[in-house]
Amino acid sequence: MPILDRPLIVVSTLVYFAVCLGLGVWALRRTRSAHDFWVARQGLGVVVTGLATMAAAFSGFVFLGGPGLTYRIGLSSLFINLSIGFTPTLLAWTLAKRLRLLAEVREVYTIPDAILARYGSRTASGAAAVAVLIGTIGYLGAQLLAMGTLLTAVLGLSLPVAVGIGLGVLLFYSVAGGMMAGVYTDVFQGSLMILAAVAVFAYAMSAGGGFGQVVRSIAASPRFGRPFLEPLGSTPALTALGFFFVFGIGVLGQPHMLNKFYMIRDPRRLRWLPLVLGSSQTLCLLIWLGIGLAVPALVAQGKLAPLARPDDAAPAFLLGFTPEPLAGLAVAAILAAIMSTADSFMNLGAAVLVRDLPRALGRRVDRELFWGRLATAGIAVAAAALALGYNDLIALLGTFAFGAALAPALAVGLNWKRVTAAAATASIVTGTALNLLLEFLARQTFFPALPKPPLPPGALPTAVSLAASFVVLLGVTAWTGRRQPALPEDISAVMEA
Amino acid sequence: MARTFALVLLALAALASLAGFALGSPLAPWLAAFGGATFPVALIALGAARNGRLGGLVIPLGALWVLLAGGLAAVLVLPAGGPDVAGLPLATALMIFVLVPIPLLGLGLLYAFSFGRHGLREEDLDRVRRLRSGGS
Repeated sequence: MPILDRPLIVVSTLVYFAVCLGLGVWALRRTRSAHDFWVARQGLGVVVTGLATMAAAFSGFVFLGGPGLTYRIGLSSLFINLSIGFTPTLLAWTLAKRLRLLAEVREVYTIPDAILARYGSRTASGAAAVAVLIGTIGYLGAQLLAMGTLLTAVLGLSLPVAVGIGLGVLLFYSVAGGMMAGVYTDVFQGSLMILAAVAVFAYAMSAGGGFGQVVRSIAASPRFGRPFLEPLGSTPALTALGFFFVFGIGVLGQPHMLNKFYMIRDPRRLRWLPLVLGSSQTLCLLIWLGIGLAVPALVAQGKLAPLARPDDAAPAFLLGFTPEPLAGLAVAAILAAIMSTADSFMNLGAAVLVRDLPRALGRRVDRELFWGRLATAGIAVAAAALALGYNDLIALLGTFAFGAALAPALAVGLNWKRVTAAAATASIVTGTALNLLLEFLARQTFFPALPKPPLPPGALPTAVSLAASFVVLLGVTAWTGRRQPALPEDISAVMEA
Repeated sequence: MARTFALVLLALAALASLAGFALGSPLAPWLAAFGGATFPVALIALGAARNGRLGGLVIPLGALWVLLAGGLAAVLVLPAGGPDVAGLPLATALMIFVLVPIPLLGLGLLYAFSFGRHGLREEDLDRVRRLRSGGS
């Protein structure tokens, strides 16, 4: 049934847009300085910070791609989420406190700012800014395409018009209210995502006859069978372990999550961050598990035709098996997941252009608030144009892993004084270049003479890049660390706290 | 001492992960599993150590390593997942019902209740605030 025949879904989409626009107007009145625009005046509580971090981290992939991946490869897809048990505490212990305390002693608004403060190196900070810009264009372009595809289905529009409408709403609140709007829309969007995920999970289990019946149906089905439920199934062990490594450790280099830590009002409130962040992420992931198990069970029970495209798993379930109000809530939640990630990237990309790259070149931009707003619009329009015109480029850049570039310089460098600027720069450049090179060789079809990356079957290029980036950081530190000059007293105090 | 130990673990984890993911060998999955279990423990130890010591965190972090290494080893040792538990293969049930919720709650509560000793001490916050320079 076309979505347009179900008016509540269209209404919920329009109401969702109206709330985002309303929050944009509210934030516009409160955004008077660059401090407000980039870090929301550093006035957030721990629940707001946790929800905003979750909403920025979880894109539409959790709601659409995840269930589709599970339909395709079985429960081995859960290796992507397996690290969720320790990542909130890992983030808190290694980075949240250090980044927040850096913001106490220096004017630090972005991740390249933190690298500049820690290492005193414009080269290291500039390398980080370039990595953030590359990833931002890719991730933002991918989110805008996903948003356009969803709006095309809901409102029956062409893709460019759908992207334009979604982009218009995003631009309105992001340009007007910067991170102030970004964070509070993230809270609204994150709450919506959790509500929809829990409700859809419950409904999915009920539709399949309960958890026991769901797994029994899958195991007895000739199409799926017990391998679907096995931890590896048909997935190579190196792929599954690569998911675990990239999502478990790469999280330490995700700028759209990390820069939320600057914004918490009182560093002592970080005490509760792991529990707030971890529980919100776990609740949200219920939709992945719920639809990922229910759809193959319904196919096995003969209640749903086998899917032609695995990515149709979530739409097929939501449109075919849930009541209209719940489907409307879920569509709004999917839009929320996409837009909460996109607005964070718009802010990050604008900061690179207005703040990070000029500082790396030894310059400062006057009227940062004005230029920040302009750059937010510019980066979003550029990403949308690239997404619509050069889909292949966006698909390649969308695989870029921030973690490979930034995780070692941040997670080790902010906790070990001996790490030098040379080591940080070498690690950032290695992670960025190796990740792009290996992904390009793995995916490109333009130059048939070029070899595939020389990796074992199933190994993820990003996992190799991330591990290599750590090895380079530790190796160059061992080589240059004895010549490390004493750190400034304030940075020392942050690292000893 | 704890910091040095954490750095040694980190170096071993990084080398094992690189060898596991980049070089194909029968040992590759085991190297990757060792790296995957060791990285988070080494990094948390590095971030939580104070004056080179971990104090009461040694046992919980050791338990985390055993849990992660045991869970990943179970996946590699039981190719078909082992006997069924609650309708799921044992290794899958471990992933869903043990490897996610237990560290999530255990580490989250540990962080919250040890915050005054291993998170942020009042005297450290005061020292940082006294050094506020106001510009970068």
